Amino acid sequence: MHIMEGFLPWQWCIVWWLIALPCLAFGVWQLKKVMEKDREALPLLGVTGGFIFILSSLKLPSVTGSCSHPTGTGLSAICFGPWITSVVCAIVLLFQSLFLAHGGLSVLGANIVSMGIVGPVIGYAIYRLLKDTSVNIYLTVFLATALADMFTYVTTSLELALAYPAEVGGVASSFILFMGIFAVTQVPLAIVEGIVLALVFKYIVALKPDILIRMKIFSESQINAARGEA
Amino acid sequence: MFEELLEDVAQNNGLREVNTTVKLAVGLGAIVLCLLSTSYLSPLFIALVLSAAILLLARIDIKTYAELFLVPLWFAFLSAIVIVLISGGEHIFWSWNPLSFLSLSITRESINTGFFIFCRVIGGMSALLFIALTTPMTDLFAVMRKACVPDFVIDLAMIIYRTIFILMDQVRQIYHAQVMRLGYSTWRESITTFASMCGAAFIASWDEGDDLIRAMDARCYDGKFALMGESRPAGFRSVAALCLFIASGSAAVYVSQGMTLL
Repeated sequence: MHIMEGFLPWQWCIVWWLIALPCLAFGVWQLKKVMEKDREALPLLGVTGGFIFILSSLKLPSVTGSCSHPTGTGLSAICFGPWITSVVCAIVLLFQSLFLAHGGLSVLGANIVSMGIVGPVIGYAIYRLLKDTSVNIYLTVFLATALADMFTYVTTSLELALAYPAEVGGVASSFILFMGIFAVTQVPLAIVEGIVLALVFKYIVALKPDILIRMKIFSESQINAARGEA
Repeated sequence: MFEELLEDVAQNNGLREVNTTVKLAVGLGAIVLCLLSTSYLSPLFIALVLSAAILLLARIDIKTYAELFLVPLWFAFLSAIVIVLISGGEHIFWSWNPLSFLSLSITRESINTGFFIFCRVIGGMSALLFIALTTPMTDLFAVMRKACVPDFVIDLAMIIYRTIFILMDQVRQIYHAQVMRLGYSTWRESITTFASMCGAAFIASWDEGDDLIRAMDARCYDGKFALMGESRPAGFRSVAALCLFIASGSAAVYVSQGMTLL
């Protein structure tokens, strides 16, 4: 999924940076508010960031100028919303490019847009949509995280297709081609990621329910119902 | 899984004592030059110079470096092939139209494009590896502060940095224990085992993070971690090397303008 250093032409690098920067600025502003209000959120922010780092470092080869791996961003999006997640993701992506030479600096903007913005926004939207319905909270977490992962790849395919449109059929056909190649590894991987993160969430519900209630991620009655099931 | 973590290598490399800003300028300059080049030759030139610097000056083991380089190179090669197949051109060597909206072909122009992108990735990767192998993350925090990144963002970055190591420790221990108990014997089993590892590592690291913050708060930590900052002046030799590198790189970009493989 991370596009490699040097893979995108400089014009597209700038375009994606310009899209990413305002979102990051908004995220930084929100982060400041959260940190001022509740310093206890800091360890959770740290561990979600570390989690994203570890999960998205498990790479599998894929044919499209990047590679397939879980993203782990859905959990952070549910806990902190998409904009703070984008800041966390930006930090993680910077670490990955400088620790593991995974991703890159010029393409960092493009990678932030796909993994740090679009994925979490979709995940968060699904979570908000299902939050107050009677849908089981684990199912909500599963859908939010799996789709956050899927849409990260859809965005990456779009980024690649825009930079390298096919001669016949242009952007649309190269988008379909890139998507097709990604889908082989990514659809099963997204489902596995959803299952794994739903189970992780189950651990949090079992061991640290108080913080979920305090951060208003789910209501007390929902958490209690889930604990009853567990 | 994380044997290739570059941080350990970076802490003990031959260029460890060179001014961080100079090293970053070399890496970032190389990335910009690669992006500005219009021919495959200049990224290759940059990759050659930086690889020499990594192997000879930073004294990184050639085996480590080759392993680090080959995996992304393989990705880059496959991706370049996709681009060769879709980008089309006039001098057609081979073509195939399996579907109405999809036409695959190999042309002189598409080989040139694909090869150029492949070389640009090689150049970019060597620049990235140069930074990764010569500059430990801890030095970069000081640069971030100088670059006016807000304190709480650096604070968060440091917490994430610390948590990565806590998490890896947890994961390593739990993973070995699980393998010992045949936790990954079947596919279905693997999923549950993997999830329980993630969950346990998550909670344990969270607790450790809590303890860390509490311990730091007890020592009057107020969200601003005191960093020594850069204490090594940029020496004449390193600045001269930087200027020489940027100048020769720019010359390579200029001279090789528009040159193609075929």
